[in-house]
Amino acid sequence: MRFEVYAFLIYEYKILIASVLKGEHMKTIIHDLDESYDSLFKSKCENVIRADGRYAPCQGCFGCWTKHPAQCYLKDALQMVCRMIGKTDELVIVTDNYYGTYSPSVKNVLDRSIGVSTPFSTYRGKQMHHTLRYGKKKKLVVYAYGCITEDEKQTFRYMVERNAINYGFQEFEFYNLENLNQMENVEL
Amino acid sequence: MKTVFINGSPKKKLSISSYLLGIVRLLVRGEVVSEQVRNAGDHERVLQSLKDADTVVFGMPLYVDGVPSHMLAFMREMEKFCIDNNIHLNVYVVSNGGFIEGCQNRPLMQVLENFCKRCNFQWRGGVGIGGGVMLNVMRIMFLIYAGLFVLNTVMSGLTAALPIFAEQLVVVLFFSLGAFFYCLRMGRAVNKGATCGVKFTRVLLPSFLFILAADIFFVIISIFQGGIFKGWLSRK
Repeated sequence: MRFEVYAFLIYEYKILIASVLKGEHMKTIIHDLDESYDSLFKSKCENVIRADGRYAPCQGCFGCWTKHPAQCYLKDALQMVCRMIGKTDELVIVTDNYYGTYSPSVKNVLDRSIGVSTPFSTYRGKQMHHTLRYGKKKKLVVYAYGCITEDEKQTFRYMVERNAINYGFQEFEFYNLENLNQMENVEL
Repeated sequence: MKTVFINGSPKKKLSISSYLLGIVRLLVRGEVVSEQVRNAGDHERVLQSLKDADTVVFGMPLYVDGVPSHMLAFMREMEKFCIDNNIHLNVYVVSNGGFIEGCQNRPLMQVLENFCKRCNFQWRGGVGIGGGVMLNVMRIMFLIYAGLFVLNTVMSGLTAALPIFAEQLVVVLFFSLGAFFYCLRMGRAVNKGATCGVKFTRVLLPSFLFILAADIFFVIISIFQGGIFKGWLSRK
């Protein structure tokens, strides 16, 4: 487990240094598909998080704000995930549809990433939100696959809109994929 | 009539979800069962308790605008279990978020409504509460006040202690009034199997004061836990 954490840290800092030196637009993909899709996503983006569900859910302790900022106390692959999401300019999420929201494994990644913000509060979109540790970001794009009803589409679009405000994304897009073959033609 | 209260908070004790479900429960008659889903190990036990149930009342915190991930996993299993066993339930939900606006719970309510449609359940409504952490602080303060009241009564007598305690009690009740009202209203609806609609409420405090109080709260906690000395607000 400790090896995983070290490997993740090295990977994260390598990406950060590369992006700073090259002035790159940093993009991250979170997906819950099987490993066969990893190569597809890695060909389109360097920064890929496969949400395989092999980690604990957020315990709601606020430790990533009050005890060890921007770091989860649970020592698994998601311990530093808020730093990666915080530094990204564009976040792309590919997820199974669960009643108009993300799959549990993708939602787990998002739940464990609240360290992207600080404990301080402000108004954003005329409502209370936390201030952003890493500043504003460009775009949140969500692709939902699987069976989805019209009501669920509306809910999902609304959810993505709310998430974009919460995370400080200036734009958001939501698409539903009728089948996964469409994924290969999507320009990520 | 059997009602199952499902607490979806990952916290072992003193969760705001269990507190709010406790208020709903005050007015619910018939057989009442309280369960908690914290991880996959709880699923089977909770699903078995649904076999002869008529009503489910979910209580859960708002995580990133929606249902916490461990509850989504449970809901998918519950869908399969209830369809396989031909179980039809009335469903209510009480959710609470850290932000002051109760309406920030709206996406969660929609997800629960969609869940009910998938399962052929009757969606009976929900209460979305803003400022959940402060409600919990109020509860703890009430317990402290009650302890001080007993101490004060012993030391100075009831006539001296009662006015102070009454004043403190009124303040705590006032801030929590919206949450109490809608939770009790839901309890009445559960008894009748009636629809109570989706309602949003909050800690009864202006948002700028709430933000100020929340900031002070986090500064104090961060001092005690040490985060303030570890690059508290910096980019990591």
